Order: sequence, then C-alpha cells, then structure tokens
Amino acid sequence: MEMTPTEYSLTRPSSLIAEVTHRCPLHCLYCSNPIELKRSDNELATEDWVRVFKQAAELGVLHLHLTGGEPLARPDLAQLIASGRAAGLYVNMITSGIGLTEKRLAELVEAGLEHIQLSFQDVEEASANHIAGTRAHAHKLALIPIIRKFPIALTLNLVIHRQNIDRLESFIQMAEQFAPERLEIAHVQYYGWALKNRELLMPTQDQVERSVVIVEAAKERLKGRIKLESVFPDYFGSYPKACVGGWGRQILLIDPIGQALPCHAAAVIPEMRFDTVRERSLAWIWRESAAFNRFRGDAWMSETCKTCPRKERDFGGCRCQAFQLTGDANAIDSVCTLSPDHTLMAQLRTKISEPLPIWRG
Amino acid sequence: MSEEVKSIGIDSTPRLMVGSRLHPTENLLLVPEGALQLSGPAKDILAMVDGKRTVSVIVDELLAQYAGAERHEIQQDVLALLGRMQQRGVIRG
Repeated sequence: MEMTPTEYSLTRPSSLIAEVTHRCPLHCLYCSNPIELKRSDNELATEDWVRVFKQAAELGVLHLHLTGGEPLARPDLAQLIASGRAAGLYVNMITSGIGLTEKRLAELVEAGLEHIQLSFQDVEEASANHIAGTRAHAHKLALIPIIRKFPIALTLNLVIHRQNIDRLESFIQMAEQFAPERLEIAHVQYYGWALKNRELLMPTQDQVERSVVIVEAAKERLKGRIKLESVFPDYFGSYPKACVGGWGRQILLIDPIGQALPCHAAAVIPEMRFDTVRERSLAWIWRESAAFNRFRGDAWMSETCKTCPRKERDFGGCRCQAFQLTGDANAIDSVCTLSPDHTLMAQLRTKISEPLPIWRG
Repeated sequence: MSEEVKSIGIDSTPRLMVGSRLHPTENLLLVPEGALQLSGPAKDILAMVDGKRTVSVIVDELLAQYAGAERHEIQQDVLALLGRMQQRGVIRG
C-alpha cells in the first residue's frame, strides 16, 4: 500500500486560549489543568499579552478566551480585555466568579468584555462546595442576577460526573430561570488533575444514557432561547472525538508563562518542546514550531488511521489520551473500536469504586 | 415548561442576541463560542437589526439600497434570513 502522507493545508486558528494565570481559588476534583501548575512569579506581563493578542488577530483568530486558573486574579484584567478588543478579537472570560463584584464587572464590560462563562459544580450547595474544594456555590448563584444587569452574553456551565449527574435535570431547571444565552453540559474529560480522580468521577453506563436523554430533550425544549451545547463522555463512545478540532488546526493555547501549546494537555506527551511568545511570534509558532506540526496531517498515523475515511473528521482523535492510555502518543486513540487497546475502555468504565477525593493542595 | 418562540413578522423589531456582533471586515456574525458565515446581503440586513427598526422599515431601507428589486421578494428574503437566525437563537424577536 502507498504510504506517502496526504498533503494538508494549513488552516487559520480561530481561537486563542489565554491562560493568564494558574492561580485559582477553586480546587475542583475534575480540573483539567496540568498537575504541575505554573508559578505566578514567572507569568507573562501585560505588554506580552497585548502583543500576543495583536499577533493573534493578524493571524486570523476571532475569539479570545481569557481563562486560567482564575483570570480575575490578574489585577490588569481590564487592560487585557481592552487590548483584546482593540486588536479586533471577540472577548470571552471563563471564570469561577470568585473575586467578581458588580463594580469590577462594570469595569470589565466597559473595557470590552462580551461574554462570560460561569462554571457550576452542582445544583446542590454542599455537593458543589465539596467538588470545588471551596465554599463558592452561594457566591456564584448570587452573581448571576448581577451579571444579567450587563449587556453581555452569559454561559452557565456544568461539568458532570458520577457525583452530580443524577441532579442534571434540576441543574438545567435552575439555569433556565436566568435565561443565559448558552448552557454547557460537559462530561468530565480525564486530563491533568481529573485523571487522579477518574475512579471517583466515572459515571455508570446507565447514568450516561440517562444524561443523553435529558440533554437532548432540553436542547429541543430550549431551542431559539438558550443554546445548549454538550460534551459526550468519550470513554463511552465508539470513535474518537476530533480533539480541539484537530491538532494545530483551530486553537492556540498560551499558558501563564508564555508557552504556546496545541491543547492544554499537550505537555504530558514526552519530548514535546513548546516555543514561547517571549521569543517567537505567534505566526511563526503556528506555522513552523515543532509542537504545532507534530500531529498535523497523517504522516504520524498508524496504517489503520491513515487509511480510515474518518481521519478527515476526527483527525486521528486525541494524542494526549492515546499517550495516557497506551504509552504511545502515535497510537490509535483507544476510544476507537479499531484500536487494539479498545477493551481497556470497558475496564475503565466499569472500574467503579468509592476512593477518597483528591484535591489540589 | 415549554415556551414557544414567537416567529418574526413584518411588524417585529428583531435584535441580535446579546453578546453577538458583526465582524468589522469579514462576512461573519460573531457569537459566543462561534461565528456564522454570512452570504449575499445578509450582513447588510443584520447591520440594520437593532431592536428599533421594524422588519418593514428594514425592507424599505433595502429597497432604497437595491434599486429595481421587488418589495415582496426582499421582504421574503429578509423574513427567511431572520427566521433561520432565530431558529439558531442569534436573533431574538
């Protein structure tokens, strides 16, 4: 069989994920950030981010997602927002809400904030605080009506897993009364810290099936009023997801110290070297860097993937997951039924016990 | 619990969803977590969707812009576009 790699064309990145700090008041059991967080004394300065946002817009990026950690921990957040808008980007902030007051929000909106994503851990307070490792739930709830006073879009999001999934319907009802523009219901993805708590968080088959029914019914019912987007638990799937829309195809992530990553788990893959925005332009990183080119196209793929028509849709699935589950970053994503390691998924799905939760210290 | 979304007619004053706006140079409507590719006169139409103009005023203004076009055709196109956008939740009636 002919094994020359198929030519691929370089796409333009549509989103820049700016992890402006790893400092965070929450310690969520399902946190997908890396186990080793970046120290705050080495964080990029305001002017670095201003330059990066400008370069991102020139490269064709449309959306800027300010995240972390907790972006509100940066005293220069309003400046960052203003510079993102000035560069021409659509500015979104993903937040726990801790540290947000009406006065601070007014400053951020004035600076150009267009969309805010507020995360919830559960609908029930005790459980929500337990999952977040912090007493944050009541504050978040009180914050919604304050956010609704401003002309910005609101997304409420809930990460679901075995510990809170049975209250999914009540969560949707709670969220609905605030008429957010979007609702995001995402099953936990087992990356970073979340992997430590996988056995505690893994839903049962029955829970997953019920959640799909609830989510589909809500999508239909809320159509035209609230856009509900959901993330399926890929451990329960038959084919891999198009992780981050394909490696080096849609997103660029900059971590707090300026390293550019194709996705936020990429550092788990051995021998990855990440160029930094302190030394290189974003355009160079996107086009030339070894990290972004490593899994573009199909040259790296196994023969099974290379000859599979689905590669145009899933781009070979998730590299970080392939590595985490098989020890080989080039392997077929074990979520795929064509993977020789696919039986592993059934073992992980049914390996349910009640281990102790592990929070970040 | 189900609440029907009222469909847009010529007397409606539609508005863009909060947190959405037209891209300054490209044919795109930016929305939270995405962008809608616009074609033909869609961008000109959406630029007039401000929660103040009625659909019939928008049609009047388009008629002035596109000389020689038939009113009923323009009206049909505008209502069809707004209806599709409303289904996607980015236009509110």
